[in-house]
Amino acid sequence: MAEYAIEARDLVYTYEDGTKALNGISFRAEAGKITGILGSNGAGKSTLFLNLNGVRTPSSGQVLLSGEPVTFNKQGLRRLRKEVGIVFQDPDNQLFSADVYRDISFGAVNLGLPPEEVRRRVEWAMEKTGVTALRDKPTHALSYGQKKRVAIAGVLVMEPRVIILDEPTAGLDPQGVSDIMHLLTQIRDQMGISILVSTHDMDIVPLYCDYTYLLCDGGMKAAGTPEELFSHPELLRENHLRLPRIAHLMEILRDKDGLDTEIWVSTIAQARREIKRMMEKSKE
Amino acid sequence: MGTDRYAYASRLRRMDPVAKILFCALVLGVCLCCGGIAPGLATLLMMGLLSVFWGGVPGKVFLKFLTVPLAFLALGCLTIVVNAHPQGTPVLAGLSVGSQVWGITRDSAFQGLAILSKSLGAISAMYFLALNTPMTDVTLGLQRLKVPQLMIELMDLIYRFIFVLWDTAAAIRTAQDSRLGYTGFRRSISSLGSLSSMVFLRAWNKADAIYSALESRGYTGSLATMAQTYQPGKTCYLIAPAVGFVQLLCCWLEVRYFG
Repeated sequence: MAEYAIEARDLVYTYEDGTKALNGISFRAEAGKITGILGSNGAGKSTLFLNLNGVRTPSSGQVLLSGEPVTFNKQGLRRLRKEVGIVFQDPDNQLFSADVYRDISFGAVNLGLPPEEVRRRVEWAMEKTGVTALRDKPTHALSYGQKKRVAIAGVLVMEPRVIILDEPTAGLDPQGVSDIMHLLTQIRDQMGISILVSTHDMDIVPLYCDYTYLLCDGGMKAAGTPEELFSHPELLRENHLRLPRIAHLMEILRDKDGLDTEIWVSTIAQARREIKRMMEKSKE
Repeated sequence: MGTDRYAYASRLRRMDPVAKILFCALVLGVCLCCGGIAPGLATLLMMGLLSVFWGGVPGKVFLKFLTVPLAFLALGCLTIVVNAHPQGTPVLAGLSVGSQVWGITRDSAFQGLAILSKSLGAISAMYFLALNTPMTDVTLGLQRLKVPQLMIELMDLIYRFIFVLWDTAAAIRTAQDSRLGYTGFRRSISSLGSLSSMVFLRAWNKADAIYSALESRGYTGSLATMAQTYQPGKTCYLIAPAVGFVQLLCCWLEVRYFG
């Protein structure tokens, strides 16, 4: 049976002004996997993430860490924040120090670790995220992508079991996007950290998400592997999302041109295989 | 921006900031306490040479920064140097206006030059610190010198978010400018007004976002971080008394031979 790193059960969150941002959300993220939360703007992704890390306290419902329910008292919160790290969308909101090294050390110092251990972790996190060369630079001299990496390093030093990233690829150039995706798969494969990402960049979802949830109006509308989700394009469109371009092409080839394509085909590698298969078939 | 760019490139960048702060404070203190012209000029010369040859700050840069307060200094000294005196006072240069002479006397000229040299000496001591120590190291040093934590954290945050808010303001300005927001005086004033209020609102929202981000990393009321290790400031502690001695010596010599 699969192990779940983090889980939400009937999570409800209402803002002070009465807006219900989360409407009984249940989901679970498998340990050592990348779970994608797909949703349009304002679907409640960011609110959900703040609840999962205890920055906001759910009005009702439960958060479970490795199957154990989290209590939202001082001790429970401390544990939750140690185990679940968030990387926010805008790194300028996360990096509070003008010194890269000191910013990265913040989380580790807050854990009350001995100085040598803090230093070891900072060096390790800088190496993993590839920012060691930036250690002597002021934060404001970094590019957007570099700031993003420093923000990720600042979460890695806490050695969490789960890392949550809010729109990790938004605002990055294509090279930056593939670098971040590569980093995330590395974090998953080498460190066994479970990753939760929110995104509406549909084209990259099939490339690195192991499992996906569709979030809309504060509730989970669907769940499954990316392929399963892409088999229901109407569901995505109803929720202001779309198929990945490749999958859309496959859908058109099937519906308009009568080709025998599988609709879930959504990456270049899958499409190549599918086209080859059809070519073989037409030869016969 | 400003001195920080050079501080990050300085050869003394990795030296213990406490040593540099204490050195600067000592030189500054002695310079301010000594009267006369010579100690100020000696301080200026020594701190300039130390910045250039020890810190590796380009000489041109140091001179350029010295010119920044020059206009302000010149105006200040002018009001001290030029005074109204009764007719018949011996003046070096002057203009007779009615019953008074407006001009420079030997004493006022000396006083003006003394203040000018003292100011330049003090400024050069501050520049030595600013051009060789990044701001984050200065605050760290102050923290180790037991300046209250609250002030240190405020300084750190303000420094960091100057850049963030500056970018925000620049982006808003460009957006306004591209829609002709700065054609004409009245329109410029009104655009600037809305820019200011927007930046204020953004700062407010940013503060919220930052608080959430800090909390998620275990913030419990103090921005405790760990800095990289520094090289010990032994040389600084050796040079400091030497510089102080030369300053005092200059002061004594001036009083002895020209006083």
